[in-house]
Amino acid sequence: MNIASATQSASGASIRISRLEKRFGAVSAVDGVDIDIAAGEFIALLGPSGSGKTTILMSVAGFEFPTSGSIHVDSEDVTYVPSNRRNLGMVFQNYTLFPHMSILDNVAFPLKMRGLRAAERHARAEAALATVRLAGYGHRRPNELSGGQQQRVALARAIVYQPRVLLMDEPLSALDKNLREDMQLEIKRLHAELGITVIFVTHDQSEALTMADRIAVLKDGKIQQIGPARQLYERPTNLFTAGFIGEMNFVGVTVESVGDNVSVTLPWGETWRLPATAAVEPVAAGEAAVLAVRPERLQLGAGSGGQVITVTLSDIVYAGAALLLIGRLPDGTEMRARIPGASQLCALAPGDVASFTVPVEAMLLYRGSRR
Amino acid sequence: MTEARRSHFWHSDGRRLSGLSTLLLLLPFFAIIAFVFVYPILQLLVISILEPHPTLENYARVVENPVHMRVLMRTLWTATLVTALSVVLGFPVAYYMSRAKGTVAALVAVCVILPLWSSVLVRTAAWSFLFQRNGLINSALMALGLTSQPFKLLYTQSAVVIAMTHVLLPFMILPIYGALRSIPDDYGRAAAVLGATRLRTFLEVILPLSLPGVVSGSLLVFLTALGFFITPALLGSPQEMMISTLVSKQIREVLDWPFAAALVGVLTVFVTLLAIIFSKTLRFDRLMGNAS
Repeated sequence: MNIASATQSASGASIRISRLEKRFGAVSAVDGVDIDIAAGEFIALLGPSGSGKTTILMSVAGFEFPTSGSIHVDSEDVTYVPSNRRNLGMVFQNYTLFPHMSILDNVAFPLKMRGLRAAERHARAEAALATVRLAGYGHRRPNELSGGQQQRVALARAIVYQPRVLLMDEPLSALDKNLREDMQLEIKRLHAELGITVIFVTHDQSEALTMADRIAVLKDGKIQQIGPARQLYERPTNLFTAGFIGEMNFVGVTVESVGDNVSVTLPWGETWRLPATAAVEPVAAGEAAVLAVRPERLQLGAGSGGQVITVTLSDIVYAGAALLLIGRLPDGTEMRARIPGASQLCALAPGDVASFTVPVEAMLLYRGSRR
Repeated sequence: MTEARRSHFWHSDGRRLSGLSTLLLLLPFFAIIAFVFVYPILQLLVISILEPHPTLENYARVVENPVHMRVLMRTLWTATLVTALSVVLGFPVAYYMSRAKGTVAALVAVCVILPLWSSVLVRTAAWSFLFQRNGLINSALMALGLTSQPFKLLYTQSAVVIAMTHVLLPFMILPIYGALRSIPDDYGRAAAVLGATRLRTFLEVILPLSLPGVVSGSLLVFLTALGFFITPALLGSPQEMMISTLVSKQIREVLDWPFAAALVGVLTVFVTLLAIIFSKTLRFDRLMGNAS
C-alpha cells in the first residue's frame, strides 16, 4: 500500500443515493430520494418520525435492501452488498455495546472480525479509546459506564477500523441535554480530525443545524429541501420546511398582482407591496398565498423599511436572552415576536396593543394556504 | 434507584401496602412451599438418619451396593443425555421462534406449548404405541426394507431417553426463547456493520447472550429428568431402573422408608452440588448486565 492510498483510506468517501425507493406493502417509506454526498461532508437527515430518514440510513448500512434505486460509495455500487462487507462505521441510538464483553473487547471487536492478532487489535482499541478521551476504561464492563461514556465507546468502536463513512442513527437522543451538547462537539471534532463522511439521522432540528454541513429535510419519504443550515433557515423553499425548521409566523393572503413587485391583500383588507424576491415559489394573481416571517425579525414599534402591523398581546414570556411576545393580528391570526435585550419592555402587559415593523427583506411568500 | 428496585405491593390508589398486608399476601404461597416441599424433604432426611436408630447405615447401603450406585449413575447419565439432546434440538427451535413473525411465530409457539396441555402420561403412552414390536416405527422400517426383523424399542433405555427428551423439550425451548427475545435487534445489526459474518455474529454475540436461557433451561430439564417417574416406569426396562422407580419400589413394595429416604438424600446432595457449581461458574448478572 502506498502513501497516497493510505491517506485516502483515512479520509471520507463520497456517497450517491439515486432514486431510492423502499415500499413496505402499500406504504412507501422512501419515495424517490436522491442525495449526493461529497467526500468528507457531514450531512444530517432531518424529519419527523415516519419521514423515511431511518429507512434511508438502514439502506446505506445494508440492513434494508431498497425496492428500487441505488447506493454508491465512491464509485462502487453497494446497494445489495451485505452490511459486513460495506466497511462502514455506525453508531446506534442505544449504544449497542455488547454487554458480555469488556470495553476494550467491544472496541476491538471489528478488528477481531478483520483477523487482526490480539496484541495489535488491543493496541489500536486503546488508541481509539484515547481519541474519545476514555483511555484506561478498557477493562470495565459497558454497564459500569454512564450513557455518555457508553456512546463515546460506541463512537470509538465505529472508527477504530478507519471506515470512510460514519452512519449515526439518532446517537444523542438517549442522552440528557448537557451531555448531548458535549457529544455534539465531540462528534464535530472527530469529524474534523478524521475527515470522515458522516450521515447523521436526527429529529432534533437544532442538532442538525449546529452540526451538519448540509441538512436534508424529509417528509413522507420525500426530500423537502436539502442545503446548508443558513439556506434552510433563511429561505426555506416550501411551506413544510418553513414550518418545520425553527419558529415561523404565517399569515394567509390573497395575491393581487405580480410584476416587479408582488401585491398581496391581508386578511384585514390592507394591501402590501412586496419585492418580487419575497416570492419563494411562483405565485399568480388571484390565488391564495402564505406570507411567512420569523419571530426574531419583527421589530417593536412603527419604523421605516417595512410594513407595520398591530398586535393585541396575549402573553409576554421572559426567555432569558430574548422576550417572547405572543399576540393576535386584527383577523385573529397568532403572531409571535422575539425581541432581544428586552429589559426596557417591562411596561408591556397582556391586553396591550403593540405595533411591530416587518422588514421587507424578512418576508417570504409561498403558494397555497396553510391547512 | 435502590428504592425502585425494592419490590413492594401497592394499593390501586398508589399507596404502598403495609408490611403486614404484604406478609398476608405472600403467606399462602410460602405456606404451601413449606408444607408440601420443605417439610416432607426435611422429614425424609430425618428418617434417613434416625431410623431404625440414629445411624448412617442407610447411606452406607446406598453407596456400598454397586446395584444402587449403578441406578444412581444411570439416572444422572440419562438426565445428562436428555438435557444435552434438548439443548441440541431446542436451541434451533427457540432461535427460529425468536426470529419468526406473525402467523408463523404463532404456529411454532402453539406447536411448542400445546403438548404441555396434555398430561405426561398421555405423551408417554403415545410413545409406547409408536415403539411397540408392530408399532408405527417398526412397521415403517420394515415396509421400507431397512430391516427384516422388528427392533426391540419398547422397554429400552433409548426409548426412555427419546420420550423424556420429547416431554421435557418445551422446558428447554421457552427459557432459551426468552433469552433470545431479550437481545435487541440492534446487537445483530451492530455486529454485522462492524464486519461480522452471520456465523460470527451468532457465535460472538447471540450465543453468549443467550447462555443464561440455555443454563436455566438445562437446569429445569436436568432436575426434572432426575426425578422423572412415569416415562421410565412405562417405557424403560426393569433391568435398567432409574432412581425414582427404585425409590417408589422401596416405599411401596419393600416398605423400607429409611432406605428410600437415604436414596433421596444422596440425590439431593448431588442436585445441590450441581446447583452451586452452576451458579458459581456462570455469572449471569454480568452476562445480562446491560441490555437496555
